[in-house]
Amino acid sequence: MNKLLNKILINYPYFFAVILFAIGVATIVTRSNMFKKLLGLNIMESAVYLMFIAAGNIRGATEPIITDSNAGSTIINPLPSALMLTGIVVSVSVTAFALALILRMYKHYGTTDAILIAEMRDKNEKWGNK
Amino acid sequence: MKIKNIVMFLLIILASIGFVLAIAELPPYGMPDNPIHNGVYDRYVGDAISETGSINIVTSIVLDYRAYDTMFETIVLFTATIASVITLKKSKRGEKDR
Repeated sequence: MNKLLNKILINYPYFFAVILFAIGVATIVTRSNMFKKLLGLNIMESAVYLMFIAAGNIRGATEPIITDSNAGSTIINPLPSALMLTGIVVSVSVTAFALALILRMYKHYGTTDAILIAEMRDKNEKWGNK
Repeated sequence: MKIKNIVMFLLIILASIGFVLAIAELPPYGMPDNPIHNGVYDRYVGDAISETGSINIVTSIVLDYRAYDTMFETIVLFTATIASVITLKKSKRGEKDR
């Protein structure tokens, strides 16, 4: 048990990434407002970024920009940073399209609550409307 | 509703315990001999300036070594913009807004 706690303490950025991911999942599954679900999705993506960037870090190393001042020192791994740039672009695209869909849904149903929208759709199907 | 939320929180805490047990077995954080710092790292750090001419290694990866990745990334961004505009566009021909 003590050994496990020590290992978690050494890997503390991954632990905070797990906490962020749990917050995001909890937001998605317990809130019925679509905007809050989208916020939870963005929090989950932030957890993944934190995980990757932390995995590429080296203690005491400098940023991956080679100048005269840090010529001899070790530098951090630049590959996770470059990959997460792609991830951020995909996240922004998904968020923009989801916001457009939510806006369209609000114009049609008059609410952004997922449960209320599901009830409206059930009622409409029972009455034979489209 | 309340019962469902409590059950969901318990399930999330259970999954988080599994995640924490998994991260405890990862290589120690911040050490220079972790398996993520392998030959790819050595190649990028050692040869980036002589091969691409950029002093910023992230720039040389994004715009030179993995330029196709960046190109299709811009296509993703463009597709998302077009899809958002089409979704928000008002329908013509006077048909009812569905």
